[in-house]
Amino acid sequence: MFKPEKFVEEQIEEMRAKIKGRAIIACSGGVDSTVAAVLVSRAIGDQLLTVYVNNGFMRKGETEAVGKMFDSLGINYRLIDASDEFFDALKGVTDPETKRKIIGEKFIRVFERTAKEYGAEYLVQGTIAPDWIESGDGVRDVIKSHHNVGGLPKDFNMTLVEPMRDLYKDEVRKVARYLNVEVAERQPFPGPALAIRVLGEPTREAVNIVREACAIVEEEIEKAAKEGKMALPWQYFAVLLPCQSVGVQGDNRAYGRTIAVRSVESIDGMSASYSKIPHEVLEHISVRITNEMKSDVNRVVYDITHKPPATVEWE
Amino acid sequence: MRVYVVDNGGQWTHREWRVLKYLDVDTRIIPNNTPFDQLDVDALVLSGGSPHVADEGEKMGRNGEYLDRADFPILGICAGFHFMTNHFGGRTEAAGKPEFGKATLIVDEEDEIFRGLPHEFVVWQSHNDEVTKVPDNFQVLAHTKSCPVEAIKVKDRPFFGLQFHPEVENTEHGSEIFQNFLRVVEEWHR
Repeated sequence: MFKPEKFVEEQIEEMRAKIKGRAIIACSGGVDSTVAAVLVSRAIGDQLLTVYVNNGFMRKGETEAVGKMFDSLGINYRLIDASDEFFDALKGVTDPETKRKIIGEKFIRVFERTAKEYGAEYLVQGTIAPDWIESGDGVRDVIKSHHNVGGLPKDFNMTLVEPMRDLYKDEVRKVARYLNVEVAERQPFPGPALAIRVLGEPTREAVNIVREACAIVEEEIEKAAKEGKMALPWQYFAVLLPCQSVGVQGDNRAYGRTIAVRSVESIDGMSASYSKIPHEVLEHISVRITNEMKSDVNRVVYDITHKPPATVEWE
Repeated sequence: MRVYVVDNGGQWTHREWRVLKYLDVDTRIIPNNTPFDQLDVDALVLSGGSPHVADEGEKMGRNGEYLDRADFPILGICAGFHFMTNHFGGRTEAAGKPEFGKATLIVDEEDEIFRGLPHEFVVWQSHNDEVTKVPDNFQVLAHTKSCPVEAIKVKDRPFFGLQFHPEVENTEHGSEIFQNFLRVVEEWHR
């Protein structure tokens, strides 16, 4: 079995041996990178600067919440707003792999600048097993380029430190609980964030739509779970599809967008089944999205595909 | 006990390593071009991977050498199993009905690998190809509705092949299948 205390002890020792000088850690506030931040800060203390980049694709209220969480962890951190840079770089880009690679590179450029200011030569990342497995290598097909692996630019020349490369999410959560990190139970959220939940070009307008829809899906599912109507799924969110359909709103014709609701059960993200959400909960989600977002969305569908053959996210 | 996982480029190669590690086995993932003489193991797992082994055999590295020279048990999974089939004179082709995600496995012959497991259980699949001709020295142990050859044992060697993926969390009794294989390994070396 996996023993978090042993892992922490070994890694603290290894990080102390490996990191000679200052380091920054790329931290989204999610489980993986936050655990890595706490772990490495235990090893090297204030030599580590935790860097959160707002790429413009974060969820509703996320940047504020992450700042508060860092405060409570008592770690040395910096929040950087680079949203203009990311939106500019993704203008006209629709291909999912291109999006992921551009986002990966932009992240690195921001980290390089910050590292230079801070005098750091090491970049710590919360990379876990599925990130490098799905990013492909000499023998493995590229399923999707995770921003922190397949999205790394070729000319990147900091020393990369990835203490959790061999762990899966369930093991990371065990480490998180052991370290008393409050985000231990947070659902996974991809690094490219909402940019890959908009199929097609991630414009500000489209990202705003999917952000609102994601917030509704999260609220309704979390509420239903709290009321005992269902168990909290592994991951649950909304995706904005690149197609329109006809509807009728107050006797007027509508021709609006489509939101897909996605929710899956998994242990490690490497295989997953779609969640059997009660229809009552799906109905609440559908009614709220199509009413509260009526000028944008007039149809909601539910994704009933396992992984494989689908992946959890749509891009 | 030392059991290495031969990496044929599968999405779940690392999962196989994890399952073995959780069972307290001394395990490592090794490239599939590792020379046989460098192996000092009690058994091997040949992982799955994206190669269509019928026409991309070169991507399977030294799997053939392992099968020819091993005097220890081998478990082939998905592409590893396909390669084993072709190597012993059988055939794999594009499946009439490829399977992805959930399927129900029907065990026809318990043998050692399914020892103590139910007659039917849920397994997770991810294959484009399937075995269409079973070599003479194979015994078929299980099937699904869409795929007639889901598990085999080699009659004259301590080798097993599985079409489905016992290493993923969604497969029921996956860890028990590995434990059964490890029991075979233990008995073989006794």
